[in-house]
Amino acid sequence: MEKRPRITMMLCGGTGCIAGGSLKVKEAFERELSQQGLADEINIVLTGCNGFCAEGPIGIVYPDDIFYEKLTPDDAKIIVQEHFIKGRPVERLMYKEPVKKHAIPVMNEIPFFKHQVLRALRNKGLIDPERIEDYIARDGYMAAAKALLEMTPEEIIREVKNSGLRGRGGAGFPTGLKWELCSKVKSDQKFILCNGDEGDPGAFMDRSIMEGDPHSVLEGMIIAGKAIGATKGYIYVRAEYPLAVKRLQIAIEQARERGLLGEDILGSGYSLDIEIYQGAGAFVCGEETALMRSIEGKRGMPRPRPPFPVYKGLWDKPSVLNNVETFANVPPIILHGADWFKSLGTEKSTGTKVFALTGAINNVGLIEVPMGIPLRTIIYDIGGGIKKGRKFKAVQLGGPSGGCIPEHLLDTPVTYEDIVRTGAIVGSGGMVVMDDLNCMVSVAKFFLEFTTDESCGKCTPCRIGTKVMLDILTDITEGRGKDGDIETLEDLANDIIAASLCGLGQTAPNPVLTTIKYFRDEYESHIYEKWCKAGVCRSLVTFYIDPSTCTGCGACARVCPQKAISGERKKPHSIDQSLCIKCRQCYETCKFNSVKTGPRDMFKKEENTEVLEEVKK
Amino acid sequence: MINLKINGREIQAREGSTILKAALDNGIYIPHLCWDRRLEPYGGCRLCIVEVEGQRRLITSCAAPVEEGMIVWTETPKVVKARKTVLELLLLYHPLDCPICDKAGECELQDLAFKYGPTESRFTAKRKREPERLDSPIVERNPNRCVLCGKCVNLCRDHQGVGALAIIGRGFKAKISPAFEETLDCEFCGQCIDACPVGALGAKPYRHRSRAWYMDEYQIICPYCGCGCTTNISVREGKIIRARGKEAIGINDGNLCSKGRFGFDFLYSEKRLTTPLIRKEGELRPAPWDEALRYIAERLERIKNAHGPSSIGAIGSQRCTVEDNFMLQKFMREVIGTDNIDSGARFGYARALEALKESSGIEYMPVDWQKPLEKSLLFVIESELTATHPVWGLNFLQAKKRGAYLITADSRQTKLARHSTHWLRLKPGTGVALLNGIANYIIENGLFDKEKVSGIKGFSEWTNHIKRFSLKETSAITGIPETLIEEVARLIASTPKRLIALSSGASENNKSKDLYIASANLLMLLGEEIDNLQLPAEFSNTLGLWLSGVRPLKDGKTLKDMLYKEGSLKALYIMGEDPVTVFPDGSTIERNLKNLELLIVQDIVLTETAKLAHVVLPASAWAEKEGTFIGMTGLEQRITKLLPDQGDSTPDWKILRNLARIMGYEIGRDINSIKEEFNKKLSAEGYVLEGSRWKKFQRPEPSFRIADLKVKARPEKPQEIYLLTGNVLQHSGVLSYLSKTLDSAVADAVLTINEEDAKRLNIKDDTFVKVTSKKGSVYLKTRVTDEVPEGVAFAPLHFPHARLNTLLTIPSDGEIPLEVVEISKG
Repeated sequence: MEKRPRITMMLCGGTGCIAGGSLKVKEAFERELSQQGLADEINIVLTGCNGFCAEGPIGIVYPDDIFYEKLTPDDAKIIVQEHFIKGRPVERLMYKEPVKKHAIPVMNEIPFFKHQVLRALRNKGLIDPERIEDYIARDGYMAAAKALLEMTPEEIIREVKNSGLRGRGGAGFPTGLKWELCSKVKSDQKFILCNGDEGDPGAFMDRSIMEGDPHSVLEGMIIAGKAIGATKGYIYVRAEYPLAVKRLQIAIEQARERGLLGEDILGSGYSLDIEIYQGAGAFVCGEETALMRSIEGKRGMPRPRPPFPVYKGLWDKPSVLNNVETFANVPPIILHGADWFKSLGTEKSTGTKVFALTGAINNVGLIEVPMGIPLRTIIYDIGGGIKKGRKFKAVQLGGPSGGCIPEHLLDTPVTYEDIVRTGAIVGSGGMVVMDDLNCMVSVAKFFLEFTTDESCGKCTPCRIGTKVMLDILTDITEGRGKDGDIETLEDLANDIIAASLCGLGQTAPNPVLTTIKYFRDEYESHIYEKWCKAGVCRSLVTFYIDPSTCTGCGACARVCPQKAISGERKKPHSIDQSLCIKCRQCYETCKFNSVKTGPRDMFKKEENTEVLEEVKK
Repeated sequence: MINLKINGREIQAREGSTILKAALDNGIYIPHLCWDRRLEPYGGCRLCIVEVEGQRRLITSCAAPVEEGMIVWTETPKVVKARKTVLELLLLYHPLDCPICDKAGECELQDLAFKYGPTESRFTAKRKREPERLDSPIVERNPNRCVLCGKCVNLCRDHQGVGALAIIGRGFKAKISPAFEETLDCEFCGQCIDACPVGALGAKPYRHRSRAWYMDEYQIICPYCGCGCTTNISVREGKIIRARGKEAIGINDGNLCSKGRFGFDFLYSEKRLTTPLIRKEGELRPAPWDEALRYIAERLERIKNAHGPSSIGAIGSQRCTVEDNFMLQKFMREVIGTDNIDSGARFGYARALEALKESSGIEYMPVDWQKPLEKSLLFVIESELTATHPVWGLNFLQAKKRGAYLITADSRQTKLARHSTHWLRLKPGTGVALLNGIANYIIENGLFDKEKVSGIKGFSEWTNHIKRFSLKETSAITGIPETLIEEVARLIASTPKRLIALSSGASENNKSKDLYIASANLLMLLGEEIDNLQLPAEFSNTLGLWLSGVRPLKDGKTLKDMLYKEGSLKALYIMGEDPVTVFPDGSTIERNLKNLELLIVQDIVLTETAKLAHVVLPASAWAEKEGTFIGMTGLEQRITKLLPDQGDSTPDWKILRNLARIMGYEIGRDINSIKEEFNKKLSAEGYVLEGSRWKKFQRPEPSFRIADLKVKARPEKPQEIYLLTGNVLQHSGVLSYLSKTLDSAVADAVLTINEEDAKRLNIKDDTFVKVTSKKGSVYLKTRVTDEVPEGVAFAPLHFPHARLNTLLTIPSDGEIPLEVVEISKG
């Protein structure tokens, strides 16, 4: 009888944890296990991204479900000795609850994981993404088999339509409807395309799926291909994701070997092959029509619609483009049914959504939650609240196409329709949390810098309009803002949105518009008072110490690179403005909120009046 | 038809049309900058956006297809506001160059700003500081003025099939440039210049020469190739300043090639003749008209009396008008009494027509301009249509874009070959073998309608003859792999709606009459009508010259006798032709001309032939006289006198009228009466003028004729190689070299030679080499390239100073005139 391992250690092999050294940890485990002669009793598997990226490198021991974090190669020896041999899990390496600091050994009891429902990420941390057997063992390709052998295209489309699945890439277009429109077009060739370009800065939802569960994408594409009658499939992956490309390539080859891709799949009569096409570093190529031009070998510039790609897409043939996460959601819908999928979420936003939680939050990482969950739950219960006990200011949703949501709207449920009402969009799932150390005008400028740089240049409003907006924002953050700038920004933003050719231009002004809507006071203080209250815009801030609250602890003086802070111990300190370079270290270090920000000309006025007095004399 | 409403008006549009097209066709103006009717909608400028009821967003009208019941509004406040902002943004970074910009007064951005505003901008910006690019011939670029409408890029790539310009960089930094920002090197057709809505692209010859509003614009027919394109010329104080194509005007629909656009300045060559010249004491001296004409009249009478009318001959001109040529043949036939009249068409178009007559009994078959667009398969054999007839050649590229098979058989990598679906790179001159091989394959595999075709005359002799052209044999002769021949043969046999096109230029030495016969044979085999054999006449009035009767009609001497047979003539009247430079074996021609008792040359410049003459008569050039051209499509088009005479030059027809009058004959009174007589003559011969097109009803009598492969000679020694002669796009015959502008692009008879041959012959790129044939040697500059295959070197015949024609010998009947030459270091 074949010996089965009694313990499996699933180490996270997502890009984040690999960067944290998880490969070395794996080697250390393997070395120790072979030394102890336990190599065939205990299995070490490298999986895709676990999601709790702040705590990586991560390893989970099965069947106990014990969660270990921040592993180093030395920890490997200890775990083998204590946990695997002696049966005593190592508390030191477990997750600690932030307030009372007690350990939570089981993964699904950790708040970060407790509120999540894994559907697109159903295989997260449980399979070796380079083994098709693992995927198949967890019901992989069962949905494809059902769709190919037991369902007609109409039935597949009906199921997906009923599920209410909406495009997870950002636009939220009903997936079933898109498939239906394309399926009705008669053509000798049709294409099923996967958008793996994931250009939003900081977003890594799709990357985790492509790296961690590539077969889920392939299976989704096969089902979609059958539904629309596709003759060929392409996965467009950004070249900046070499691991995703590698894992997808392995997955495709393995699927081909098993007859799950290629001619006459599973004897169903349906044939589909999938090829990977790599991007070349352009955000705009994540746009549907630009992506298709890129595959055609042309400059990645969008085309006007109508005509829509479902009618005239890749090489002018009917094509359906869906996001990675959308495809990952498809197999479970086919297996468990539309009703099952709809059982989570709201009426108009069914199912779950993957988010990349980043920014000034304690639990940075990848999560999947039911649609409709309030923002507050995500930020506080899952995210663990704001880092270093600071105050929440805003959460940015949807990347450079999205908007900032302020504190008073935190009870907004995360659904397509509710978020859009705030002025932001759900987008592809990027969620950046900001605290009081962030300047909202700077945030808007950051996103606009990105979109201006990534604009393809084809249409006037985006090419020139975003640059003009950026120039105004730059002026504002550098002290040249003037009366009327806010109104000009709003007006120009609306025209750019109305006249732009594609989604990039149509959404680039959103960060500016939402920050003006909810943080207008910041804009006004930048313009009229020449004061960046968050202390980010260097030319608009003066750092000074409030003598009434300063305890004289000297912490700020110790971190000042310019040695500009002076004062006696336990006596209020002061900052020499002539030496201050506005690096903010003192501001961020002070625990007593004694280092404060003031307007740019805070002390200059006094100087001016001094000079005036001199002249008067 | 689709019904929709635009601005409250009921409009009807064809299915598949766009909102913008429907609006413009119905006189409703929607502003646009990046749309061109020749291109796929681009949607980049955003000026054409409109409101469509039921749609949340503003719609790009240039791209949106019309739908039944659509309600469109083009001037709502929402649209106007967005449009104004777009213009505001465009104008913000557009330099205030109007005072020094040549486009002022004709600038679309100016017009849009004038019409839609805004009058003030909310923003200021720093001028862009891209250097102006004047480093390439003809085309100047000012990237600062560019509004990135993309028309130049899209036109060059999709319409012209070249792609010399592209957008580089991204976003605000995006700009239009040749690859790697190097010097623009392209066809220099100038289509981009005409398309540019602002002053970002311009023509260097036009730079700073005039403001638009000081020029008068006229339409005239281009004097170069047989297409007969209409050019819009701008004239100022009696001089042509520039020529442009205009949308919807002419058979060319606004498209032009480099010749039509930039070749007009041949008119201003210093070589222009302004006064008659008579040879006195060995030198050509100016003389008044009266003296010159009397000189001629006297001597012609004398020669006629002494040696008989058959000792006098004439050569007409494919570039002179119908009236000019008609008068010449009238002069020869009525005043002199001889049938000795011919033209350069003898070495070109005449061969094609001869073949046509033998194969089908048809004497007159103009080309159908639109035909390539109606076909599913186009087969072009050993002809570079995109160089000889560039604007018509665009239809071939268009047809291929729309899904037709474009099959090219050519040893050289021409533009047509690059765009073909199938390029058969055959050995030069073996086209007949290829056609015979394809036909044989079709017959052996029964891929034709045997019942219908076997009844045609000559079928069995022909099928027997081509039996030896098996796949193997054909492949061995042509050098094309058997599998490819088979594939193409099957394709040709199975694709309905086919066309075969062949050029017939005098300077092309890769064809004989047999190629046209073989083409006709193939069409007949496939059951196609003979008019699917498209044979474009070479120059602007080649067809007109032919219809005027400038060729021996009874037993007169052809060009071959008149120029090459020693002592064949005593006197020769040459009108608008330069045999010494143009025709093969220039030295023999020169020798024979020198032995004439009387050589009269009537031309616009002092050609090499004119230098040998006893009398030189200055003729008016194109645009300086009235007249008619009949282009390759049979379309009769007038050229008018738009420019003053240069010196004492006089229209050719008038010179002949006056000469005849001195000799006591009235052969034509004025332009109109001459044309009337011409019309009558054609009517009598069965031609009908339908609208402006000459047609002739002829019942084809198809018969299969034997077409064989007869080559003059083959390379034997290691330093021997085939010399292929032909055309380059930028030039036409020997008129264009007089244009300084065209010469700035191409001015040399460059010898293109293959890398392997260069290695073998030990010659380097861009050096002078000695090219020797039986007849002599010349020195040419080399360009080593793989555009020509091994064993073949190519040089164009447009440049008199190269004297390339002295290397060539005239072939005997039916022989392919391919020359074998030796190449050695210069």
